[in-house]
Amino acid sequence: MTNAPTTAEVTAIDTQSRCPLLFLIGSGIVWLVVSGILALITSLQLQAPHFLTDCPWLTPGRAQALRETAFVYGWAANAGLAVALWVLARLGGEALRARNWLFFGALFWNLGVTVGLIGIATGDMTSFALLQLPGYVQPVMLFAYGAMAVSGVLAWTGRSTERTFAAQWYAVAALFLFPWLFSAAQIVLIWAPVRGTLQAIAAGWYAQGMWTLWLAPLALSGAYYIVPKVSGRVLPSYEFSSLGFWTLIFVGAWTGGRHLIGGPVPAWIATLAIAACALLIGHYFIVFLNLRIARCGRGTAMAFILFGLLAYVLGGMLDALTSFRTVALKTQFTLVAVAQQELALYGAASMMFLGAIYFLVPRLTGFAWASGGLISAHRFLTRLGLFLLLGGLAIGGWVQAGDLLNAKIAFADIAGHLKPWLLAVAAGHAVLLLGNLLFLVNFCRSACVCSTTAPATTLFRQPSTLEATAS
Amino acid sequence: MKNGPLFLLGLFVALVLSWAGVVLGSHAQLGALTPYYDDTESGAFPSRSSGVATRGQLVYADLGCAACHTQQVRRADFGTDQERGWGTRQSVARDYIFQPKPQLGASRIGPDLANLAGRKPSAPDAEDLLKFLYLGSQNHPVYKFLFEDREIVGQRAATALKLTGSAAASAGHEIVPTERARSLVAYLLSLNNAYDYPEARPFAVAAAAGHGAAEKHDAKAAAPAAGHAEKKEGEKK
Repeated sequence: MTNAPTTAEVTAIDTQSRCPLLFLIGSGIVWLVVSGILALITSLQLQAPHFLTDCPWLTPGRAQALRETAFVYGWAANAGLAVALWVLARLGGEALRARNWLFFGALFWNLGVTVGLIGIATGDMTSFALLQLPGYVQPVMLFAYGAMAVSGVLAWTGRSTERTFAAQWYAVAALFLFPWLFSAAQIVLIWAPVRGTLQAIAAGWYAQGMWTLWLAPLALSGAYYIVPKVSGRVLPSYEFSSLGFWTLIFVGAWTGGRHLIGGPVPAWIATLAIAACALLIGHYFIVFLNLRIARCGRGTAMAFILFGLLAYVLGGMLDALTSFRTVALKTQFTLVAVAQQELALYGAASMMFLGAIYFLVPRLTGFAWASGGLISAHRFLTRLGLFLLLGGLAIGGWVQAGDLLNAKIAFADIAGHLKPWLLAVAAGHAVLLLGNLLFLVNFCRSACVCSTTAPATTLFRQPSTLEATAS
Repeated sequence: MKNGPLFLLGLFVALVLSWAGVVLGSHAQLGALTPYYDDTESGAFPSRSSGVATRGQLVYADLGCAACHTQQVRRADFGTDQERGWGTRQSVARDYIFQPKPQLGASRIGPDLANLAGRKPSAPDAEDLLKFLYLGSQNHPVYKFLFEDREIVGQRAATALKLTGSAAASAGHEIVPTERARSLVAYLLSLNNAYDYPEARPFAVAAAAGHGAAEKHDAKAAAPAAGHAEKKEGEKK
């Protein structure tokens, strides 16, 4: 069995934070399953356009918006916050404070996501990518987020040691920046919308900012904590980590014009984005430099995190490559762009969240995961699913790109050429859904054990070297 | 990083800089964009769209049509948008100034619609579009819920679809588009990039003249563009 807590590690910090953090993780996993079902529907609709289109709630456009929203605001937000808050509590050396704020914030956040999804299904979606939530739930979610972040702020200001660690910077940055990003985007897109194509520019700024200033830092905070912990080694070239951090924070949101190349916006928007994407390579390089020891670690958590890290670095390189105008000319508007988004949101961020969850749940409950078999199955299915999904999207997208650039090929034929690859995408989503269902079962069983039995601390001692460094 | 407030200030400054640079910067450039007044045509372009078309844009947005359709034609030497007949010039920011929710889109599972009603030689008419929404095609979903299948009481409704063969309504019934379907179609028919703005003409006309197929359009546009050269340069930056 992997990643079981050692006696030394199960502390009051973890047990006292158990209830709100397990609630966040549990609701995150439920949303992951929901978004998996919606993703399967979306991919089947691309395959067979008439599938479910008699149902007004699930037109292809709405199903896709529902899926994205459930994934980002349901799964990634809940899971990412749980990881970041836990890291802050651990490194702060104190149990989480303001746990009631956290719990009720999480409750209202999830209610907001639920109402938002109903709103999208009934026709209230905005048309901005990754911000399709109806305008009326956005303020509620902003306040709910603020309530959850109180815990993080208190863990940061009330930390027992003066010294801070890279995992904390990323966690605090994500907690602190998202409300500003979210509210600034709400103002210029929903409440006092800017004119014309400026909306596309502002929406691009938000979408890229949400990735570079919120989800990526949340994922990295977990990775920066767990990698040295499990591998038992000091992070190499750690002195560069602050440079990597500030590069991401200062440059990240400038990449917003990446998708507007050749569009009806000023050319400097795209040029800035291209330059910013190139600068960000520095960040990806430093992350790779720091966390390359992940390959030495063993266990489920490290396997997921290593996958996520490789996807993160690869995704960053591909972003820079496809932002060049000559490449963007091909890849823009095709499934390649979708593949890149999946690589970032699923391949990188979600895999790191999953790894962190595998690491922290046994520490919260005081028990090992209920079933080792389910863990192995989930690990296998997730890899297989991502391989099918990303491979199908990337190859299909490349075929589509070639076809779109040849004006002699009619649109109906392009759709025909895409069919086999879209089948792989649908299969990938089905496999991922199955894996995530198993994960949900395993999580429920693990969480139930902890609520019915007193924690036993004599389980599964790990070598004491694993306790080394970092915190 | 020991200094907490300074750390948070740094984060905040980073975010504000990007917001100011990207959002406010482009707003300063384009926020006050006015319609272009053409002396020879004695009119300003683009014209405001009708109320029903504006309502139709809301239908387009809430159904999520932008998930598969873009509304931005790129310039002739950048992609095959114009070769595919989606438009005869690139889309420019001025095209969208009267649209409350511009639907630029980011995916081309379906064709671009920026100039749907201005396509040459054959732009679809309202009847075509309504039938297409009702029947779909091999690669386009059906939107039957935008139509009402009702019994004919008295005279046939003037707006009822003229369907034949297996698609026709059952005896004594007719398929009538709802108000949402009619607004959506009015919106689609308002998508027209016919007017050629000075800033939409290809750049570097003089240098490019006589250089292959892509520049044919440039040569055509060269004469009228000359007078607006300075303005064009300002817009394109």
